[in-house]
Amino acid sequence: MSGMLSFQNAAYATLISFEEIFGGQVLERIPAGLSVLYLIAVGVVVFFLFSSLRGAFSKPNPIEEDLSGRVVARITQSLANRSLRTWRIVFFVLTMTVFGLHVYWTLVAADTNEQFQNLTYKDSRQRRASIASLRGWMLDRTGKLENAIASYEIEGKKGLSRKYRFDSAFSHLLGTERGTAGLERVLYGGNIEPMPSAVEVLTTIRRREDFAQDVRTTLHGDLQRFIAGRMNGKKGAVVVMDPQTGEILAMYSAPSYKLSEARTQDGYLELESDRRNKPLLNRATREYYVPGSTFKAFTMIAAFRAKRQDAVFESSEGGYLASRGARPIRDSNGGCAPPYGCAPLDLSQAFAVSSNQYFARMAVELGSDRLASTAELLGIGAYETPAEAMRSVLFPDIWNSDNERLRGALAVEKSAMVTGSKVSRYDLALQGIGQGYAGQMTPLQMALIISAIGNTDGNLMKPKVEYGRSPEVFSDVLSPSQAARARAIMSLVTEGAGGTGGRAFAAVTGAGIRTGGKTGTAEKDVVAFDSRTGKMLTVKKRRRGANGKFETYDAPKMVRRVDSWYVALAPIERPRLAIAVVVEGGGYGSVTAGPIAAEIVLKSRDLGLLRRDGDRR
Amino acid sequence: MKSRPSSHLVILLAVTALTALSHYAVHHGALIRGYETSWMSGARNVGLVLILALLPPVFSFVFKFKGNWSIYTACVILFSIGLTVQYRLFSDPEYSLRGPDRAQARLDKTKTMQMHFVRQVYDEKKKALLGLPPTPPTPVDISEEVRRPVVEDADAVLKSGRTVAPLLAILGLILAFALMRYERFLELLRNKGFLIVLLTVGLLIFAAVFSTAGKFLGELTPWEPSKIPFLIGFAAVLAALYRNLARTYWGLPSGRDVVPLVFMAVLPFLPFFLLKDFGQMMVFSGVYITLFAIAVRRFAQRFVLIGGVVLIFTILVVGALPLNVQEKIPLLPTVARPVKGILPDRIQQRFHLWLDGFNPPSPETSWWKKDYEKYYADLVKRNPRLPALVEANPGLRKSINVDAWFDNLAFQPAQATFGLSAGGITGRGIGLGYVEGIPVADSDYIYAAIGEELGLVGGLLVTLALLILVSGGVRIAIDARDMFSKLCAAGLTAFLGFQALVNIGGITRALPMTGITLPFVSHGGFSLITSFVMLGMLMALSHRNSIDRKIAEDLRTGRIAIEDDEGEGKDAGE
Repeated sequence: MSGMLSFQNAAYATLISFEEIFGGQVLERIPAGLSVLYLIAVGVVVFFLFSSLRGAFSKPNPIEEDLSGRVVARITQSLANRSLRTWRIVFFVLTMTVFGLHVYWTLVAADTNEQFQNLTYKDSRQRRASIASLRGWMLDRTGKLENAIASYEIEGKKGLSRKYRFDSAFSHLLGTERGTAGLERVLYGGNIEPMPSAVEVLTTIRRREDFAQDVRTTLHGDLQRFIAGRMNGKKGAVVVMDPQTGEILAMYSAPSYKLSEARTQDGYLELESDRRNKPLLNRATREYYVPGSTFKAFTMIAAFRAKRQDAVFESSEGGYLASRGARPIRDSNGGCAPPYGCAPLDLSQAFAVSSNQYFARMAVELGSDRLASTAELLGIGAYETPAEAMRSVLFPDIWNSDNERLRGALAVEKSAMVTGSKVSRYDLALQGIGQGYAGQMTPLQMALIISAIGNTDGNLMKPKVEYGRSPEVFSDVLSPSQAARARAIMSLVTEGAGGTGGRAFAAVTGAGIRTGGKTGTAEKDVVAFDSRTGKMLTVKKRRRGANGKFETYDAPKMVRRVDSWYVALAPIERPRLAIAVVVEGGGYGSVTAGPIAAEIVLKSRDLGLLRRDGDRR
Repeated sequence: MKSRPSSHLVILLAVTALTALSHYAVHHGALIRGYETSWMSGARNVGLVLILALLPPVFSFVFKFKGNWSIYTACVILFSIGLTVQYRLFSDPEYSLRGPDRAQARLDKTKTMQMHFVRQVYDEKKKALLGLPPTPPTPVDISEEVRRPVVEDADAVLKSGRTVAPLLAILGLILAFALMRYERFLELLRNKGFLIVLLTVGLLIFAAVFSTAGKFLGELTPWEPSKIPFLIGFAAVLAALYRNLARTYWGLPSGRDVVPLVFMAVLPFLPFFLLKDFGQMMVFSGVYITLFAIAVRRFAQRFVLIGGVVLIFTILVVGALPLNVQEKIPLLPTVARPVKGILPDRIQQRFHLWLDGFNPPSPETSWWKKDYEKYYADLVKRNPRLPALVEANPGLRKSINVDAWFDNLAFQPAQATFGLSAGGITGRGIGLGYVEGIPVADSDYIYAAIGEELGLVGGLLVTLALLILVSGGVRIAIDARDMFSKLCAAGLTAFLGFQALVNIGGITRALPMTGITLPFVSHGGFSLITSFVMLGMLMALSHRNSIDRKIAEDLRTGRIAIEDDEGEGKDAGE
């Protein structure tokens, strides 16, 4: 046994010398280096063997050597030998085909074979490699390790496991390992291969840390958790961003799910099949809502851009007729909105009381081209026909990030309007008040629209989640003075007489924080579900079938849902928050979404988010 | 380079040193991953290669060996690569264990690597948050790791099949060589070939009846050695008949000549069909076509045989093509339907895995329905609400089907392909891949393990060594003086070559996957012994050729004169 031990000691002595050759910073270097050495050496031996065979290829059979060519050609020996030589060529070709397929799977398939790519989640290697080399920690904007959104904990026999401090509050942002990728899957490893090849271990990887740097995000853990608590039991989404820099402070979609639940196959299947609540869907970026009156902020921006901000329109008790014979567009009370009644309104009055007639008329006066150009500047797709607008398009490039995978993971479902030349005046009017074809807005999009107003330069900043990335401008929407005027108009909603958000924001205003906002109440037809079984409800309908005969079929039963919206800017002097809140089936914007937005503002003040370094008092 | 035993001795000693090096790499990789390797098994492996390396001088002194050493060296290289990969796999507790122990072994390994990482990278504050002693980042010294002692039991190592089988194989090689070099012995084989085959068939059918799923008494495949008598029998019959086949009546050879040949050709298929060993059947057909093509001179006869085999193979492939592919070609579904009806489920399964393996078949498919339903029933047992969920969401059924497919039938081939893909050009490095996740990576799937840890280059080296073996073997066949030894040499080469081709082809999806081993590389008992015996026979034929060549040269230079005119012209003349 002692002999064995001294053998081991001798081996460890060689280990140290190997460390000198290959470098010891990365543990894997020694086996990697040895295996490269092994390959090279075996390669040399095989090469020598091959060259020794070369002579054997051309040498004739000893019996044939003595005979003349004509005799050789006739004897069986030679015929058989010719067959043998042919067979050898065939075998070489077959072997190289087989090896060629090895080359295919190694070098080509991962880039081109779609079926193969779709299966990579069945390969545990990547996962095991990344578990072993530990992802970096994900910090919130405070940058404190103890506040980390994602970190590690030691779990007895199991080793280290990923710990999510805020769990379901961040589920949609962190993403699952199976479905749509989230920050967990895209923030780490960026360009660094989690499973380097032997040569890469030897040449490129200097330190283990490169695998997993901690990433500080712009998200605020406590604010996100507060929002998650406030949205508990509701459906909808909240987006909070900084209009000056584009930083996303919070982005929450309700209902959420537990990350641990999504990790098991059964849990994931259950989440995936819950079609009533769609917990896996990130409503903030991937769900369309009818924005209703909050979209008047868009029409206002378009008016400013067209220098029509001083237009004064009259309302009428019968409503605004976009064209002869069109359905009149009335205000929410059925006639003219109080307190001004049918008196001529300017932009600020109309915005404060949320006059449908004013903004419908404004949209028609502006015309489709102006609406389209404003839409493009704000990241909304402006399409020729409704059919084009219905197509689902992801819009990754709105995000401010170098990481393509991150842009893809957070990509927003592109909001859409229809501004083609064939669109009627009535349809334009409806879109001006956030109805009709404008009914395809994501909550993030609404936050972006008001953040353009909130930006002191009138620019739309690209949203970002990586802390310390320099802000990027998406588009120059308004001049600084126009933006300031637009903010003043928005502040009337909370501070002016008859402003629709006054009551909800009373506490905020009372605390000395000046804010601006806009309420929205929008109706949307949605599929109905049985409240007890969770099954989709259907009604029998009749249609003309393919054979021309009438037939009955089960059509989904539709019900009208009233969504509650609120968009807000705070503080209005130099906004640091652009908030968009939507609550499905929440009723009036001022009743459900408004108070939530107000509480977010107060909470942000407590967390010190309203004023930051560099802000003038 | 001259093919001298001394230079081959040097090469082989270098290969031994390389084997030691690669085993050391496995050991180091194991420490990084958190398990230990057995020093004794490592020493045993290096010892085996050393024995093989020392054979050339022994052969020179004892047998006055004159033949070519290249094929032998190529086989030792293959053996060395195989031993390295096997050592890597068998040391890994995750690979050898089953059930919950395996899961625990996996967790232990992960934990070790994580703790290495924490120790190297995390600063004091992070360590404190994890509840660890706050130390600054410190490099990990592998030699100071907590040792997980492997039970070193000399007795067990010596008695294990991994020691005994290679030793028997080496013994078999020497014996086969010693016997085959005698002209008398060859003569005997040629004359009694038919009898040998009949005896083998009897034994084989016995084994086939008492075996399950292509394995006999556990994991043994005792019919592997039967390849040799079959080959000798076929070669003997063909050597006796080939000249008669050329005499045709209206283009047809006489029935008296054809019937025994066909009988001999079909005979081995019977037991292997019973055993459901389609890989061996594929290898056998390859070898028989080779021998036939070499011995038969009439183009029409060659055309009929080779064309016939190609036709049968095409019909099988067409019949087993997945439906969505068939539908792209007009008339094909109509043609393929009757074939599909006849094909056994097992073949249809294998062909689907081969041609369309990444596309799960519909749960209604006859050969998949049972497995799918079993998988589904297990899921329902764990989650009784599942049927309701599936009813509400038809997409769910599809995703369950995908999971069932890749966790069951397609698991092995998919993991092997992931392995090849993960390997890249130079591989992950010995001991640094995740080959323990590929089932049976030590035998049938060893090429996938090589592809992952040694990469494309490793695969290329195996392929080149195989080509050296085949070229050397063909050379021996070309130099052979008479038809029987020529066919023997060609047949042995073809057996080793095709078996390797079918094995590697199964992994790279060039051919359907069948459970046969990679000669000299895979871990195996009977298959390893058979391969080495075949190598010994080839070497004996090579030795015989060299003596012939020496005589021919001496004749030409006039050093010796022909006294008896019988020996040489007999087989060569028409």
